[in-house]
Amino acid sequence: MTLNLLVAPDFAPENFPGWYMLATLLQHRSGTRLHLLMPADAREQAQMLADGLADLVYANPFDATAMIRDQGYRAFARPKAHSNEMVIATAAASPADHVEDLRPGCRIALTDNRDVRLVGLRLLEPADLTEHDIQWEPASSYQAAARMTLNGQVDAGFFLASAYHALARITRERLKVLVESRLRDISHVLLAHPRVADADLAPLAQALLAVDPADTGDAQVLQALGLPAGFEPMEREDAEFMIDLMDTLLD
Amino acid sequence: MSRLPDMSPPTGPHQRAVHTCHDGTSRTVYWTDEEVPYPDGRLIVSRTGLDGVITHANEAFVELSGYSREELIGAPHSILRHPDMPRAAFADLWDTLKAGRKWHGYVKNLRKDGKHYWVYATALPNVRDGRVVGYTSVRRKPSRRAIEEVLPLYRDWLRQEAAEACA
Repeated sequence: MTLNLLVAPDFAPENFPGWYMLATLLQHRSGTRLHLLMPADAREQAQMLADGLADLVYANPFDATAMIRDQGYRAFARPKAHSNEMVIATAAASPADHVEDLRPGCRIALTDNRDVRLVGLRLLEPADLTEHDIQWEPASSYQAAARMTLNGQVDAGFFLASAYHALARITRERLKVLVESRLRDISHVLLAHPRVADADLAPLAQALLAVDPADTGDAQVLQALGLPAGFEPMEREDAEFMIDLMDTLLD
Repeated sequence: MSRLPDMSPPTGPHQRAVHTCHDGTSRTVYWTDEEVPYPDGRLIVSRTGLDGVITHANEAFVELSGYSREELIGAPHSILRHPDMPRAAFADLWDTLKAGRKWHGYVKNLRKDGKHYWVYATALPNVRDGRVVGYTSVRRKPSRRAIEEVLPLYRDWLRQEAAEACA
């Protein structure tokens, strides 16, 4: 049995090898061959999904919402104690100290992560800013967004919080956080395509959920992934609850 | 659903009123003029059953409301109802939810200590297997301009409600 696992391209670059370490470990323990699909960006991910290449998907919550509701994917696990948060940051020397200091017409650097965009827009509401009030400046990566913020090309940048905190210390010291979300209830999700039978998924899911942060070897894999607490099961109602939350954030 | 206990009077200057709930029970509430700022970056999340009784309260809800989780779970969502909020706003909320649609609005919530906090609230029906089984409400930080805009409207509604009550 071979399953293709697509990993959404919104993790910090240093966590890239961690996915290969995890795949090796899971193959060994479950007897299921696992082939990783690592799209470089959201567009490549969408194409891989449209081509039907993925049996399993490590999806961001925004994509997971549509995949569960519209395409019948089922959630079976999520990272434990690892919610998706975002940061709006400006240059340390910027006169802005709070998100309310941003004004209509301000320029914001943005990657193609739709979760970050969605949550960021909600965090701009107290400043009376909508997406139409912003001059969006596309950034190819969070490192690029940081560079654009530091060199004054933009007034602020949107960052996935984990990626922001993974920036080099010298970069972070030259930036200033205007707001960091603490949403807590929204996370990436592991999904199975409706064509994957429960019997084929079960050995892999069991192996994944048994990866133990208290075991030295397992902990190294989880650290490499940037998910030190491991994974926990996700029931259908957990997924439905998260989808309802995402729905409230859409407008 | 059991009757909500009366609030305890705050130590400083305050006002007092008796709320009559839709189930006919009443509750004495006290409030001050003090506003607690909505914390940056947080979402307040709660869920209720079809009867509006709270079944889930996240940490931010517990912190900002001033109630313990034990006090919130099993209580009607009206535990947060501030006397400055017109009934018409909540009637619109329930009419919208019962029609199966999502509701948005600015709400002044009453804390356990009589202070208040403003939220931008979104509520939606939880649909499972085609059936509505409850409601989820998510509150986020509102803009001050938006609050200032709704205040005159809410005052008008309150005046109308008071006039109708006297008629």
